[in-house]
Amino acid sequence: MPRNPSTDAIVFLTMRRMRTPLIVLILVYCFSTLVMMQVPGLDDAGNPYYLGFLDAAYFVAILQTTIGLGEVPYRFTDAQRLAVYLLLVPNVVAWLYSFATLLSLFLDAQFQAVLHHSRFRRKVNRIREPFYIVCGFGSTGSMTVSGLLARGLQAVVIEKEDEKVRRMALVEEYSHVPALIGPARDRNMLELAGLENDNCMGVIATTNDDHINLTIAITVKLLRPGLVVIARSETQRVCANMASFETDHVVDPYRIFSERFELALSSPTKYLVQDWLISVPGTRLREVLKPPTGHWIVCGGGRFGSRIIEQLQNADLPFTVVDVHPDRLTEVENSVLGRGTEASTLCEAGVETAAGIVAATGDDIDNLSIIMTAHQLNSRLFTIARQETQENDALFDASETQLIARRSHIVTRRILLLVTTPLLQSFLQHLIRSDSGFAKRVASKLERVLDNRSPVIWVTDLSDEIAANIRYALTKTNSVRLEDITLSSRTEMKQPLPCVCLSLERGAQRVFLPGADTELHEGDRLLFAGRDDARQQMSWTLQDTHALLTNITGKELPRGSLWRWLSER
Amino acid sequence: MKFEKVIFAFFIVLALTLNFVFFIGDIDNPEHHDGMILGAALAVSIIATIMKLGDRSQMGAVLLATSLVADLQLLIAAGIWTWAVNISELGSAVEMMPIIVSSSGGALLANLVSVTLLIAETISIRR
Repeated sequence: MPRNPSTDAIVFLTMRRMRTPLIVLILVYCFSTLVMMQVPGLDDAGNPYYLGFLDAAYFVAILQTTIGLGEVPYRFTDAQRLAVYLLLVPNVVAWLYSFATLLSLFLDAQFQAVLHHSRFRRKVNRIREPFYIVCGFGSTGSMTVSGLLARGLQAVVIEKEDEKVRRMALVEEYSHVPALIGPARDRNMLELAGLENDNCMGVIATTNDDHINLTIAITVKLLRPGLVVIARSETQRVCANMASFETDHVVDPYRIFSERFELALSSPTKYLVQDWLISVPGTRLREVLKPPTGHWIVCGGGRFGSRIIEQLQNADLPFTVVDVHPDRLTEVENSVLGRGTEASTLCEAGVETAAGIVAATGDDIDNLSIIMTAHQLNSRLFTIARQETQENDALFDASETQLIARRSHIVTRRILLLVTTPLLQSFLQHLIRSDSGFAKRVASKLERVLDNRSPVIWVTDLSDEIAANIRYALTKTNSVRLEDITLSSRTEMKQPLPCVCLSLERGAQRVFLPGADTELHEGDRLLFAGRDDARQQMSWTLQDTHALLTNITGKELPRGSLWRWLSER
Repeated sequence: MKFEKVIFAFFIVLALTLNFVFFIGDIDNPEHHDGMILGAALAVSIIATIMKLGDRSQMGAVLLATSLVADLQLLIAAGIWTWAVNISELGSAVEMMPIIVSSSGGALLANLVSVTLLIAETISIRR
């Protein structure tokens, strides 16, 4: 491991600052000792004597530090006291000067920063598990870190506002997460955060400045091309830029949402399955959501609004755009100039006869106002609102909006999906591309096993110990099939576990919704969605050869060598 | 001419000369070796060390190292002296004089290296 440069920095900083005070201290000390040795004194018997070197040095030391243990070795004469009186001030001042310099050095902001960096560096180097560097600890960043921790991954945070870092230190959950205060676009900061470490898995850029995210992505791609880079970006220009130098994943919340909106418009089933699979496990399953195919009103034609408009155009739906900026409306056929928060503007846009409304301005309160006004004018409206800041969660929940585009939620969910279950991401892409029959099959399978709660997603990797168990099982039987591991092995009745195998990955080959009789091979990776107890039971079955064999053969096999020998006879 | 350079060279050379003043004389004759001079040599040597602190160059590192060696040798000499006078049964440093002086001789060598380096560095800067 290379020597830590910042520890050196601390030592040198201290040395340089302490140089003058220490020299002053030593000079005063030597001079005082010399004086004390030259001044004549009297011992107990009244004979004249001179202080020895050790006595003099000792006395000056206790004088300097104002400890003042007394006159040694004999009571001082008047001449000695006069000398002490004269030496007192320079000695105490010299001592305090050194002490104060050292103290001010410790309180110095620059010194504190060096200390902070070196402590941070040590914490990062102590991480043994794979970790991700998360740049930006806003609402998205903090949710991402929580998600990573919950999935057993470590995170290292770089955040430029020290207040956020200090607040983070107060939360129990993040107490072991190293956090660095500094600009994440600085190459040195990224290196300090362990970019070069072997167990660094990737960098997640979630600052709220697109340009900084872009800088981070470029820096990482140049320094360590092999690392995964996930960058958030909200403008199409920056997205295209990031994609141009092979940033692994560009997360654009507005595009993700508009794509989901498009999915909801074109195929409610696909939308539903996607929603089930990406919701937080254990939440209530959403009902079928069907955005109406009538006239739409889009309030605000900015980054979010323009993407919704694109999707409406693709779906050939009529729409009216309401915006305060006249220049945004020049290319739109039906448009109304206004904010959309007033009833008159909405009426002009045809709210009474409209099917749905999208409140897509950049201001949360304006969006809420649009939704509430529109709802009063037409209670059958389908409503979609854009939410920018996390603090307004409760307000939006109470507004009874059918679909809420929560920026930080969308970004976090996508990042976690990419980081923790890339298999699911490829499954979802397949789902979107394939016909609706596939989506319906997935939906019915999922509905059968789920208890009206969204499923847990897990990946079963047939490697290491599990592969050894399967090899052992294959010495006893011809084949291990998918249905063998999706059976309950704990109960007498072999019931199927409440889970669905979504896909099977074997090398470069992918099988989606593999059948129950699919043969399993070593090295396969299986993606499951289902209830949590199914996951636990499955891992039990896979780790216990006896349970696995019982499932395969359908009969209880003898456990010990003796019984096995007996049964074979 | 920089005042800082003057002070720097002053202390380094003074450390050498004081060291030499103490060292010169018959090795076992206490009359030739004054305790005051040893104390002064030690103090100046430590000041010279502090002057060299915080210099990150290669030359600075070697200078610091030689100075630390000189400090160590002088500290040993002074320590033996103090021990002989104040702690041991001897009551004086007379019997210990050879080892004290030879130890300071070691420090003298280190100081010599230090001054040589200083001169070498000065000459290498051509103006």
